[in-house]
Amino acid sequence: MIALATPAVVIPTFGGSPSSYACERANRLFCANWVSRNWSSVLWPALRQHIVLSVVAVAIGFAIAFALALVAHRRRAVERPVILISGVLYTIPSLALFEILVPFRPLGLSARTAEVALVSYTLLILFRNILTGLRDVPDDVREAAAGMGMTARQTLWRVELPLALPSIIAGVRIATVTVIALATVASYICDEGLGVPILAAIQDGVFKTELITAGGLAVALALCADGLLVLLQRALTPWSRAQAR
Amino acid sequence: MHTLIEALRFIGHNGALPSDPAAPTLVHLTLQMLAISGVGIAISLAVGLPLGAWLGHLHRFSFAAINVSNFGRALPSLAVLAIGDAILGLGLTVTEVALVILAAPIVLTNAYVGISGVDPEIVDAARGMGMSGWRILWRIEVPLAIPLLFAGIRTAAVYVVATATIASLAGYNGGLGYIISDEQSYHLSGVLGAAICVAGLALLVEGVLALVQRSLTPHGVRLEQDVRGEEDLDALLPVTSASPL
Amino acid sequence: MVRVRNLRGGLPALVAPLVAVVALAACGSSSNTTSTKASPSASQPGASKPAVVIGDKNFPEENILGALYATALRAKGYKVTLKDNIGSSEITYKALTSGQIGMYPEYTGTILTVLANDTANPPSAAAAYSQSKAFLAKHGYALLAMTPFSDSDVVVTKVAYAKAHHLTTLANLAPLGKSFKLAAEPEYATRYSGLIGLKKEYGVVPNFKPLATSALVYQAIDSGQVDGGDVFTTDPQLKSGMYTPLSDPKGIFGYQNVAPIVSDKVLNAEGPAFASTLNAVSALLTLPAIQKMNAAVILDKQSPASVAQEFLKANGLA
Repeated sequence: MIALATPAVVIPTFGGSPSSYACERANRLFCANWVSRNWSSVLWPALRQHIVLSVVAVAIGFAIAFALALVAHRRRAVERPVILISGVLYTIPSLALFEILVPFRPLGLSARTAEVALVSYTLLILFRNILTGLRDVPDDVREAAAGMGMTARQTLWRVELPLALPSIIAGVRIATVTVIALATVASYICDEGLGVPILAAIQDGVFKTELITAGGLAVALALCADGLLVLLQRALTPWSRAQAR
Repeated sequence: MHTLIEALRFIGHNGALPSDPAAPTLVHLTLQMLAISGVGIAISLAVGLPLGAWLGHLHRFSFAAINVSNFGRALPSLAVLAIGDAILGLGLTVTEVALVILAAPIVLTNAYVGISGVDPEIVDAARGMGMSGWRILWRIEVPLAIPLLFAGIRTAAVYVVATATIASLAGYNGGLGYIISDEQSYHLSGVLGAAICVAGLALLVEGVLALVQRSLTPHGVRLEQDVRGEEDLDALLPVTSASPL
Repeated sequence: MVRVRNLRGGLPALVAPLVAVVALAACGSSSNTTSTKASPSASQPGASKPAVVIGDKNFPEENILGALYATALRAKGYKVTLKDNIGSSEITYKALTSGQIGMYPEYTGTILTVLANDTANPPSAAAAYSQSKAFLAKHGYALLAMTPFSDSDVVVTKVAYAKAHHLTTLANLAPLGKSFKLAAEPEYATRYSGLIGLKKEYGVVPNFKPLATSALVYQAIDSGQVDGGDVFTTDPQLKSGMYTPLSDPKGIFGYQNVAPIVSDKVLNAEGPAFASTLNAVSALLTLPAIQKMNAAVILDKQSPASVAQEFLKANGLA
């Protein structure tokens, strides 16, 4: 079947008037029109996915690091191997780690692979901070608690952990900010997050507005998360502020 | 695993591409990456060390000096590269600028905290002996601050290597990222091979710097560290991670 | 190729259902179904058919084609999922043969040189079509009607560079050898409609720089990073007059009309209206039409989905 005879084809003026796209054509640094047109279809989904990726990674990393830290608190022997392994993982550049994980069958090119890598980055930070926080509790405080008749468990939950809170939250803060930064790279293998519009914009002949907007959103997200966690830290540990003064 | 074997074979063949005999070899790309990273680290050290050390010696601008690394850490590297691309265009210059923006703060903060954290009694004693500020800095504060200085240098160096890998996603065609960003030509086995090389390179850089640190650490400080049982890896993260601010 | 999906191309999956609902409400029944059911839901030819996945390759024109076909099918009631930005021809064809997608639009010349490994140059567009159709039929795939427009690769340089080196045709590049830096997508290195054909037919062996997309190729030419690049004849950038195309008398880039490749299985499952809907869309795609759509997507950064929707609406297919 050869091509049909061409009927009269109507070619509309796409997107309304051509002047409304002058900014994009000139590839200026920031085209507000493009942003408003593409917010709900490109930018917001990417931002939302990015937040989800980051929150899940920190949550899972925290859970694992917390459990490991509690074990290491009782059994010193656990500390070295955990620090060693997570230290090695932490040193491996993220893009490399993402790619190394891709061939493993259940993972592949998906958010799951990204999460596995992101969690391994948070592990070192969180483990170290939780353990340091627990260890830094002065011995006499612990002895006083024992003297008051508290069990080891009660001491842990009622005395040691509250005192370790500043260090723990500091760790959560660093881990969150680190993960937000790394999640932009994760977009290369899992097609989610703010890295997607960034990478697409670069391939699009460096479409400046998209780069600045998506990049700016990533930076803003990280700074906001950092700021919020600082506030949380201050709210949960008012005594540490007094000490710092 | 099939892909892993293929990847190792790829490394063994020095990254040869059957479809393109003129493709750059793995050795060439690795050296290129070392060169890019080296320039980035060198400039970051040149910017961060003197400034951080001097401010630490004077105990001035502590808030800014300590928090600049928090700010720098919060900047997602891909976002910084992207915004740089939009403003300065693609290429090596943008990559180096981004590397310095991301790595210099870490060096600065660690230098500041290291120098300013030297036992004030020692500094007083030195001043009492008639040493000038300059000599105090060089002969007392810097040697005693080696652990923290190097914590910053090592973190920054690994960070630079990681960001140099990502730079290939942001339109810079060089280094091992050249392979990782071109799965079309190199297939997953090639990408995996390059990723393994990147990981190895980062660990090598970290290891070499750890050895340099060990050799530069004054004997007395090293003894003290061994007595306290401090982990070498413990110094991987900037000290600000533990202090609530 | 960077393994990135264009989120803008993923828009059809979000917007198209809404669009289909509105279109269904507005267009009424314009179906040519032969169903004997009387219920209104069956007036749409696609309503009772199984869901189908269609794909497109990783550049703007293909994104537009994917959006066009998907939108038109949905307007006829088909349940379509569009897998956007899959990759190069090699990768997308593999997605088809492995069953991940049921159809994608391909270029007739590319089917021959890349998929069939047949480098005997067909003498005309019609010959390219019939030869590629024959190849696909052997493997259980049908080739539907082809578009009026043709879009082949072309090597371009800046006007000044072409003047300085007296370049009008690809053979003129041969004496330049490696001093000529050529940028193109990575798959160019292994294709007859690429470096292999350039060497074999014209004796041209340039200094090759792989770049992920056409947009980056233009940018590399503009910034002087490379001397020339491989781009597409329907690119809006070519209308700027800044670039000189080099002619290809030996036809290594071939005749390249677009036609949807559909697996026979899907064709049988979806019924005759499936093919006729796609053919109706293809018939509308004249050179000016596709050029205007490319300009809207590439230069204005409009989304392929909205451009496709507007085009089909203006021509009564959505």
